[in-house]
Amino acid sequence: MAGSGTAQLRTGDALLRVEHLVVNFHAGPRQRVHAVSDVSFDVLEGETLGLVGESGCGKSTTGRAVMQLPRPTSGSVRFAGQELTALKRGALRETRPQMQMIFQDPISSLNPRRRVVDIVAEPLAIWGRGGGAERDAKVREVFDAVGLDVDAAGDRRPYQFSGGQCQRISIARSLMLDPRLLICDEPVSALDVSVQAQILNLLADTKKRYGLTMIFIAHDLAVVKNVSDRVAVMYLGKLCEVAGADDLYEHPTHPYTNALLASIPEPDPQVRPSTNGAGLAGEIPSPVSPPSGCRFRTRCPRAQDRCAAEEPQMRQMRPDHFVACHFPVESPVSFGATRSTASNQ
Amino acid sequence: MRARRDRQTTGYPAAPETSGPLLEVADLTTHFRTGRGMVRAVDGVSFSLDRGRTLGVVGESGSGKTVLSRSIMGLLPRTNVVRSGEVRFAGRELTALTEAELRDIWGVEIGMVFQDPMTSLNPVMRVGRQITESLRHHLGVDRAEGRRRAVALLDSVGIPEPEQRLGDFPHQLSGGMRQRVTIAVALACGPRLLMADEPTTALDVTVQAQILDLLARQQRERYMAMVLVTHDLGVVAGRTDEIAVMYAGKIVEKAPTRTLFSDMKMPYTEALLKSIPKLADPSHTTLSVIPGRPPDLVNLPTGCRFYPRCPYAQQRCRDEEPPLQEATTPGHVYRCWFPVGTPEGRDALDRNRREGRLDAGAPVAPAGA
Repeated sequence: MAGSGTAQLRTGDALLRVEHLVVNFHAGPRQRVHAVSDVSFDVLEGETLGLVGESGCGKSTTGRAVMQLPRPTSGSVRFAGQELTALKRGALRETRPQMQMIFQDPISSLNPRRRVVDIVAEPLAIWGRGGGAERDAKVREVFDAVGLDVDAAGDRRPYQFSGGQCQRISIARSLMLDPRLLICDEPVSALDVSVQAQILNLLADTKKRYGLTMIFIAHDLAVVKNVSDRVAVMYLGKLCEVAGADDLYEHPTHPYTNALLASIPEPDPQVRPSTNGAGLAGEIPSPVSPPSGCRFRTRCPRAQDRCAAEEPQMRQMRPDHFVACHFPVESPVSFGATRSTASNQ
Repeated sequence: MRARRDRQTTGYPAAPETSGPLLEVADLTTHFRTGRGMVRAVDGVSFSLDRGRTLGVVGESGSGKTVLSRSIMGLLPRTNVVRSGEVRFAGRELTALTEAELRDIWGVEIGMVFQDPMTSLNPVMRVGRQITESLRHHLGVDRAEGRRRAVALLDSVGIPEPEQRLGDFPHQLSGGMRQRVTIAVALACGPRLLMADEPTTALDVTVQAQILDLLARQQRERYMAMVLVTHDLGVVAGRTDEIAVMYAGKIVEKAPTRTLFSDMKMPYTEALLKSIPKLADPSHTTLSVIPGRPPDLVNLPTGCRFYPRCPYAQQRCRDEEPPLQEATTPGHVYRCWFPVGTPEGRDALDRNRREGRLDAGAPVAPAGA
């Protein structure tokens, strides 16, 4: 894509509707990092949106801009009918309990000197909700929801837990205020595969139990597919492709999505890894001076003159499948890993 | 201290050609003395590796895979380490060498690539000098020749404009470029063995594919052996000849790569593979998990170290440690009383499922992650 446009937005009530989101950072005199440039998406109530891309594509910045951390440079973020970008500080604070975040490094996102039961209970104290007994009951409930025993674990401190358990505690804390939207920023990328599976299953259960809406940010496409209903692929501050999770992986249309899929090492020796650069050559360009037109064109095997001159707009390729590319891949997977046989798993 | 070796100014150091495997590790044990007791990080590991071949070492964090690679190299703390066993490299016993002698092996005979390219490069030394340092020290090449070779090396690891990059500091390069530089440093003296410890874990998936391709190409061209240590079965699946799966300091299964995936015997290998989300699965597939977590290396369970988490576990697994036994395919060994895909294994699994137990009556591990 790296293109703009709003064709992917759905009509009707979305819990979260982000339009023309722009986030720039200052980077010295007359220099600006274009972290997020004109990104639009929506998330329906109860849906999980996956945001995928390489480091530096702006996926974390997008997640934080939804929370107004920091406030975006321009664009609109409507959450439950409220325009967050227009709210004053106090009013914004009132909406924050409804949106919670989980971060990548579970150990450093917990205060090392406090007992985990206090860490988890703190949101209630801050908001002055409930009495002592009510708070205890709620703490017990969320510990139970994340599979920890409050009596055995509550008095310990974060360093006494493994990374996976700390991530469970972070999830418990995020549930305390009954949020509607949970933004998970690479919640499993610091964890071992076996633990990763536990946390992914836990997130799916939690979502069902509490009726949550989720934005799931990650660089691992297989993980994103597992948790998401809809997936948005980002590249250098722009959206490339938005589609239903299964549809995106079955019919990847943007050359960048294809390249990402081709790069994934499959745990199957029958799938020969692509060699001699059939994946994706080069590196992501600097967001200080992004390429003109389509931002992916410098690494795109299908790039033409038009890609430099004109920025592609989001358009519908199939039902609920949108792509911002002048020359989308019509036939599935034209380059990348050659699959000698289907996965035998 | 750092006496310059008088070596021929051209060509790579000639080492005695021996028949037999390039690297032979026999019953290697590496324990650490700590305040809590003895941490048995590597506990009796044996394998051998021929020239030009690749061995993948796979395991969770804390399985001892990194300590294994460091123990082979002799890169261990000076105190509170108990190491025993043998490490024979090209006919020489590495465990008997002094650090000064090892310095003639590190970099020249055995190269190493680490996980984090930022911390393994010197932040205040220009890239060019980090490459030429070992060339000049070990091979005694002169400044001009060193520079010429450094440019050729940077070019061969896919760094654009190598002449300009020689003058850069590591912080001026991206993560992927830095890892290419560490690979160039590791390859500079033409080692016969490359130890790569999680070389792509800190990198993006697209860059990971590039780096793995690069390692495979260099390895082919140089007929170099490689030990690829990783937690990701996906990384080793298409790029190794043989895989050793480690759990709690031991190799629990080792097999030629295709055999390991098609005919795994060890329940741990099966569980590890099943817990990876696969692209072929539809979204919202519930992943099968390995309950609990790896054992504490100070207080290891008796019997099989995996039994508290194993769906196949029986009373025997608790009482007796399974020895490494051979499967039908040559080179395939595993440690299990009730292997996957055998009648005994199926019976054990069925029995546990019927009784709804996780293991042979042992306290079920709390649902801690």
